[in-house]
Amino acid sequence: MRRADGESILLWTLPAVGLVWLSAFLLFPGFVQPMSPAMSAEEVAAFYRDPENLPRIRYSMIVFNWFAVGLIPILALIVLQIRRMAHRTPIFSYAMIACAAGGPTIFLMANLFWLTAAFRPERDPQQTLMFNDLAWVTFSSQVGFLIAQSVILALAIQLDRQERPVFRPWVAHFNLVVAVLLMPAAFVGIATEGPIAWDGLLSFWVRNIAIGLWIVVMGVVLGQAIARQRAEDEAMAA
Amino acid sequence: MSRRWDEKRELWIGWWTLVVFYNLYGLLFFVVARTQPPPKPSLDPSEIVQWFADRRDGLLYGYAIVSIVGGATAIMNATLAYTMRRMSVSRAFAYSYLVIYALATLPGMLIMGVVCTVGAMRPDRDPELLSWLYDFAFLSFEGTMGVFLVGSLVWMVAVLLDRNRVFPKWFGYLNLCNALTEVVVAPAWIFKRGVFAWDGVIAWWINMAVFVTYTAVFLTLLRRMIVREDFGTGPLPELESDRAPGPAGTLEAAR
Repeated sequence: MRRADGESILLWTLPAVGLVWLSAFLLFPGFVQPMSPAMSAEEVAAFYRDPENLPRIRYSMIVFNWFAVGLIPILALIVLQIRRMAHRTPIFSYAMIACAAGGPTIFLMANLFWLTAAFRPERDPQQTLMFNDLAWVTFSSQVGFLIAQSVILALAIQLDRQERPVFRPWVAHFNLVVAVLLMPAAFVGIATEGPIAWDGLLSFWVRNIAIGLWIVVMGVVLGQAIARQRAEDEAMAA
Repeated sequence: MSRRWDEKRELWIGWWTLVVFYNLYGLLFFVVARTQPPPKPSLDPSEIVQWFADRRDGLLYGYAIVSIVGGATAIMNATLAYTMRRMSVSRAFAYSYLVIYALATLPGMLIMGVVCTVGAMRPDRDPELLSWLYDFAFLSFEGTMGVFLVGSLVWMVAVLLDRNRVFPKWFGYLNLCNALTEVVVAPAWIFKRGVFAWDGVIAWWINMAVFVTYTAVFLTLLRRMIVREDFGTGPLPELESDRAPGPAGTLEAAR
């Protein structure tokens, strides 16, 4: 008998973590009106020194530090669903485990750079600018694990050839679209203005909305897959 | 034929990902970003400003592409971990390898990309800070040793203990060679010039020669393993072409 105890608790952490992320996102003054990479060192330093901003920067980033890894249990549940697919090897579930650690680690690194910049705002503005650049470039450009996650999931679903596949084919297509929407953000380094800049339409809005949408859609289809699996298990046991 | 492809498609996806991405990474690091072979650690801040200026577009576009495709390492490492799962050893070997190499992607590739991008995006940055970024990029890339050291040793022990003949025993010792190259890199944290520096004969050239040989060998062996794979739990069958000449019947009977 499969041990499924606690899976629904893990699943229901998703809306809670989602809410925490959204609150921290709105609290950080550099996200609501994304900071421009065209700001001078003095302007960036002034942003961190502003007594209105500083506590909001620190508190929002402390919350992100607590919950950056909050989605790993959801990725673990996706790994378990990949294992139910009609594959000959565990390669896709292994690859998903490898991705699960990568994305949150990148986010944590960006978080540490932001917190370090805010720790001594009186620092030489050139140094604050460097930490701010490191934070934004890490946060924006490092989409590799998120893209891999979506592509691996799409491949796994595509090769899940059985009567009732674990996820329906549109979930694979949705994942490929998300992967494509994440790609432009990798190029943030090339421009300080326009859609590719880290505050631009593609690198900030499209990228972050795609991530948010992925979390919501995958949360729903994962919940459905787990519910169906439970019904099948109960039917078997009866 | 299509049936055989069907059965092994996950393994072939893994193998082709390995082949394509090792070539692509080589191209991106050596030709596009031109951060390999590495520059001298002894450059002074004004020379470092020039170094970033000389390859600005290569760094920005090259590492952008690395950021997009970097996650492919997940499927590559998953495929290599599968070779250990097919061996007669504990699953702990496959899992250790998978986690160690997943972690290795950061210092082995992505941190360098982030730091070089930050360095290249503002050519007017304070030269002292550019010099720190330069050191951090190359030291994190060349100087992160343990993940590859322990990872290779895990694979070595698995190959040597394996009774399923997944890989020949000599490949176990080749893993030891790869592990040893990570030991001799350590002085790169201390020396700024000479054979032990991060661009030196020992820390870079010998290392790269061993790594390229090692990679070419395991790609070849992995391909043979996939052809031989029978999805059983016992020893992998030998390739037809490898069987000893002589009456085939006696060979079969001897098993």
